[in-house]
Amino acid sequence: MEPLKPGQISVPGKTEPSDLIAQARAGDTQAWGDLYREYAPAIFRFCRRALPSKEDAEDATMEIFLKLRDKLVQYDPSRSFSAWLYKVAANHCWDLLRRRKARHDKDMEDVTEIPLEAPEPNQLERLIEERTSEEVRKALDKLGARARMALVMRYYSDMSYDEIADALGVRRPFVGVVLLRARHELRQALGENTVLAAGGTR
Amino acid sequence: VNQSANNHLDEMTLLLYAERQLDRERAHEVSVHTQTCEKCLNLLRVLDRESRLLTRSLLEQDEPLPARIAEFHAQVKRSMQWIWGVVFGMALLGAYIGYAGFVEPWEQQFEQAGFGGTNLVSLLVFQGAFWKGWQSMFTLVEFVGSISFAIFGLFLLRKYFKRGTALAVMFASMGLLLLAPARTAAFQVNIDTQIDGEKSLEVKKDQVLKQDLYFFGPQLRVDGTVDGDVYSFAQRTEISGHVTGDVICFTRSAHITGQVDGNVRVMANNITISGTVERNVTTMDDDVNVDSSAKIGHNLTAMGQLLTLDGKVGRDVLTMFDEANISGDIGGNLKAKGKTLTISSGAQIDGTSKFEGEKPASVASSAKLASPIEFTQEQRHESRTSHGVGYYIWRVVWAGAWILFGLVLISLMPRFAAETIESAERYGASLGLGVLVFFGASIAALIACITIVGLLVGISTFFLWIVSLFSSYVVAGAVVGRWILGKASELWPTVGRMALGVILVVIVTGIPHVGGWVRFGIWIWGMGAIALALYRRIQPVIAPHVPSLPSGTIGTPIQPTPSAA
Repeated sequence: MEPLKPGQISVPGKTEPSDLIAQARAGDTQAWGDLYREYAPAIFRFCRRALPSKEDAEDATMEIFLKLRDKLVQYDPSRSFSAWLYKVAANHCWDLLRRRKARHDKDMEDVTEIPLEAPEPNQLERLIEERTSEEVRKALDKLGARARMALVMRYYSDMSYDEIADALGVRRPFVGVVLLRARHELRQALGENTVLAAGGTR
Repeated sequence: VNQSANNHLDEMTLLLYAERQLDRERAHEVSVHTQTCEKCLNLLRVLDRESRLLTRSLLEQDEPLPARIAEFHAQVKRSMQWIWGVVFGMALLGAYIGYAGFVEPWEQQFEQAGFGGTNLVSLLVFQGAFWKGWQSMFTLVEFVGSISFAIFGLFLLRKYFKRGTALAVMFASMGLLLLAPARTAAFQVNIDTQIDGEKSLEVKKDQVLKQDLYFFGPQLRVDGTVDGDVYSFAQRTEISGHVTGDVICFTRSAHITGQVDGNVRVMANNITISGTVERNVTTMDDDVNVDSSAKIGHNLTAMGQLLTLDGKVGRDVLTMFDEANISGDIGGNLKAKGKTLTISSGAQIDGTSKFEGEKPASVASSAKLASPIEFTQEQRHESRTSHGVGYYIWRVVWAGAWILFGLVLISLMPRFAAETIESAERYGASLGLGVLVFFGASIAALIACITIVGLLVGISTFFLWIVSLFSSYVVAGAVVGRWILGKASELWPTVGRMALGVILVVIVTGIPHVGGWVRFGIWIWGMGAIALALYRRIQPVIAPHVPSLPSGTIGTPIQPTPSAA
């Protein structure tokens, strides 16, 4: 089976079920059920990556779909349903994290004061080659809420910088800063290699 | 495009380039640079590989979908159906309360002012469905409590019904009642006559109806024979003929002058029985008259304001009346409760007589009583303050109502409910704020009501105050439940904890002397928690700290340098 691309929820090549969405919008509970079955796994994985625990992800998935029932009428059918769905999910998860004050765990207040230095390409390449997907996911759990959220939004959901900025409540030009910072945190967590994380040769 | 002192591109620029976030001109500059600078090209490639590793790692389906998620859909559908059913029921109740409290008084004033006539809404909806006498049987609050408890009971028994059947039956019945037009509509019979100028149903003297009769309309008169039961939802019901089954009436006035072979169950403003009822009579009315010619074969159970019993009752009489006058025959025991009981000269009671009231019964010397009346002095407001059976029943009813109320709140506003519970666990803050809200909001509402301009605000505030007062039991229950069973985030475990907590709270608040103080504390605590949650919610969210963009870091055009790379 062809692997899913970022932001892709359904099977590759399969178009979004617009009829199903329209029926669900009209209040058809059967269609709603089908829609849930179609999209719940992807949203659960999104939440699983973005939130600290599996229980949180399960709760959030259910809450998101409860929310979706009410919000479905607001969906603009001319736009991508998957993108809209991820936006709702991202807003929900970030809201959840923010309310838990998780944003304070590893914030980015020092971004301007401590400029990030570029890593040594060879060392970074070695690190990437040596690490498995599972190790990356474990390392992701060690990141701060915002860093993890940003990476998940960008590399799991393929959300645009504008959408990420909107969800995180930051200005658009800073999304790159957030993502770069998140990558550095991730490298640190992956390798605990200060040389790599803090930068290489300049 | 930013370049370092040794003319290499910075990582940010390369990342933005890799992610196609640079504008065309800058992207071109990066492209040109990386064609000549091996170090930057390598970093760009590695960044791209890192992106792909991230995507692969995140998209990988490393764990199966939890069963809870897979099964959630059905739960949501069921629970939401139920919640909407409850909401619909409550809305219906609200409509009735609104009508009885606001529309009807206005209507009466209009009628008094000469704008008589019945408007279409009341004709179609309320007169056909709701009967004024309800108010004399229950207070409004008790009525709401009963309905809530009934719904909750139905909810608990839902497993025994087919899916949706319970709701369908309940709401179809309510809908039927609502839609029942005031004009005559009798099922199965085609008898449509005018009685006193109104379209009503009459089973004529020589007619025999060999089936049950259901009637909705202004007036039902049975002069003939109904070989079955009679169900009447009419303003006026008259049975002068013969009914072989039971007579069930929700009516304003009922007259039974004929013969009923079965039971008579009536809720009415007044009922007069002068005929024969072979079995039992159960009635809740303002006035009950059992004429001297009346014969009730078995028991008479009656509640209301005024009872006049001149006829004959074959077995026991159980009454709860403000004023009861007995001059007829009672074949069994008499058990009466009320303000006054008068037993006149023609009365005969073959069994024991018990009376609980404000003062001893007045008994005529010529009355024939098998035994002296056993009198018990009524304690004022006994049903509410002492521990009689009624007291406990209403405690249970209220517990059910609160649990149902909490279920609705938690289901409709899960996040706010969770926030409120969290707020309640900040004991100091919620109690402090509770004192402020409990006294401050009510006084403020009162002051606002005094001024004409603030009337709406005042009433709204007072309404919210009352709602939060009721909700405080739910909040307290939810927290107490958490103390015992631990925290839960899912709907049903949360509701279960809340239900357990509410039951405990109701038990504790029922303890004499202490209970009142506990109740007061719960009001303060619950209101404070709700106010705290609301306060935290409306408080503006502070945006996460955003660093200022280092000037010239991103987007500065690259300066072509011959020594690049």
